[in-house]
Amino acid sequence: MFRKVLVANRGEIAVRVIRACHELGVRTVAVYSEADRSSLHVKMADEAFCIGPAPTTGSYLNIPNIMSTAELLGVDAIHPGYGFLAENPRFAEIVADCKITFIGPPPKAIEVMGDKAAAREQMQRAGVPVIPGSHGPVASEREARDAARLTGYPLIMKAAAGGGGRGMRVVHTPQDLPAAVQTAQQEAQAAFGDGRVYVEKYIAEPRHVEVQILADRHGTVLNLGERDCSIQRRHQKLIEEAPPPRLRERTLVAMGRAAVRAAQAIGYVNAGTVEFLVDMHENFYFMEMNTRIQVEHPVTEMVTGVDLVKEQIRVAAGERLAFGQRDIEWRGHALECRINAEDPRHNFRPSPGTITTFTPPGGTGIRVDTHCYPGYAIPPHYDSLVAKVIAWGRDRHEAIGRMRRALLEFDIGGIQTTIPFHLKVLDNGFFRRGEIYTDFVQRRIELDTL
Amino acid sequence: MNDRIDFEQVREVVRLAEELGVAELEVETAALKVRVKMAGAGQAQAGAAQTGVLSPASRGITPASVPAAEAAGTDHLDAVVAPMVGTFYRAPSPDAPPFVKEGDFVEENQVVCVIEAMKLFNEIQAEKRGRIARVLTENATPVEFGQPLFLVDTSATRG
Repeated sequence: MFRKVLVANRGEIAVRVIRACHELGVRTVAVYSEADRSSLHVKMADEAFCIGPAPTTGSYLNIPNIMSTAELLGVDAIHPGYGFLAENPRFAEIVADCKITFIGPPPKAIEVMGDKAAAREQMQRAGVPVIPGSHGPVASEREARDAARLTGYPLIMKAAAGGGGRGMRVVHTPQDLPAAVQTAQQEAQAAFGDGRVYVEKYIAEPRHVEVQILADRHGTVLNLGERDCSIQRRHQKLIEEAPPPRLRERTLVAMGRAAVRAAQAIGYVNAGTVEFLVDMHENFYFMEMNTRIQVEHPVTEMVTGVDLVKEQIRVAAGERLAFGQRDIEWRGHALECRINAEDPRHNFRPSPGTITTFTPPGGTGIRVDTHCYPGYAIPPHYDSLVAKVIAWGRDRHEAIGRMRRALLEFDIGGIQTTIPFHLKVLDNGFFRRGEIYTDFVQRRIELDTL
Repeated sequence: MNDRIDFEQVREVVRLAEELGVAELEVETAALKVRVKMAGAGQAQAGAAQTGVLSPASRGITPASVPAAEAAGTDHLDAVVAPMVGTFYRAPSPDAPPFVKEGDFVEENQVVCVIEAMKLFNEIQAEKRGRIARVLTENATPVEFGQPLFLVDTSATRG
């Protein structure tokens, strides 16, 4: 096991990783920007080092300063959390070159999954269903038209280097295609410095269902089950749950197997997530693989009892997974609500500021992951996640009821949060019946009545 | 846990001294000792000193807030801070004399130390001319981003 781990992140995930390290008896180093001096991860870690100014390019993305800190303080592993450098293959490589262990997958696996076209090709070869579309990036209008013959209309154009819902464009008719190709390429070039775009079948009313994978260095790849993350706004997930409601057992089993094949095909090690789009007929298609721990990992932890972050660290240290696929049991139902410092009554505008009162909910089946406390000032430089509330119940009905109770209990003063929005979703009849899809918020939630 | 000086606490003491209208105020806790001397007309001079509670974890790293607080209250003192994380060296090589010592006069852009980061030695220059009033960091110790390294008295003149 490692002696000392540097956590190259901030916020609740840095706190989450530090907790896992301390449970394993591993010392921790927090790195922080000048804006995060009073953040909880800085207080909780055994050592803390300032690595740069508030803007992320100078601090949390500053590879030289992070690596210098790692060397100066003698750490033997780095956990990247999610976001920032978590899916940067060059960073993973530099860490390895410095004889430090990167707590994550091999750089090659990050690289393959980071390139949508390359990932899709690998997945097709591994027999993982992909959305019908162009085999690679389309270079011209003619190539786009060829691809459109495979996909039909409507189709969607996506930037090869995009992600998180950015760089996407829906095309409804053949007449719209020529202009759309040009605009999409220009947008992709401007946003990602990579103008390649590819064409896919557009799936109406899809659900976002993903599979949690855990793999060790000794060839074991486990499926820890599915999560539904269909409740989104502008492609940002807001509520996640496990298991996905109203999906047939047969579909879940097939999806789990496909995800394991996907991980095996690229020699995956550590925790990762294979994301699928599921259509109305329960056909599922590979979307992408996130080669890191995810924000919503706690819902899987609640239904399986597996501590995913601790397993990440153990696997990175070279240990064998201490359990097999047959040992994994899914008990009950879990939901996660992401509480953001945003005002849902004003188009979710950011609401940074100082948290005056902060009393998180508790009681049976409730877990709160947060880096906030009373008096904490939310810096305006980073994402708006304030806390993740996770509720477990014997069934979905109980989990929803518990979540509702917990959110009503949660007292956060001084800032606006997304709690009123979550309560509205939890009380929605369609949501209660499990009729959810990625445009649920747009279609079923009247934001002006919040 | 780390034991950095809480800037807020220092500010509180200054505010308190102003409110009370006293000439001098000293506050001491287990972790912090702050003495504030009021210079007159609402202007405060704060001198902070940390008593020995550095955690073993921080391995002798000078808490950034100590000299910063000192510098803040003095008009002519300007801090040279570390622009990167690395190891602070006062001399170009172990046998060489230091680039500068206390009392030396430095010109703008004169090299005052090097910081080793990623096997590279980065020369750090003074931003303003003046006299080196204090060397704040031990030779060959790790420095954080923004950590004050020297105090330069910018009111001093050569000679």
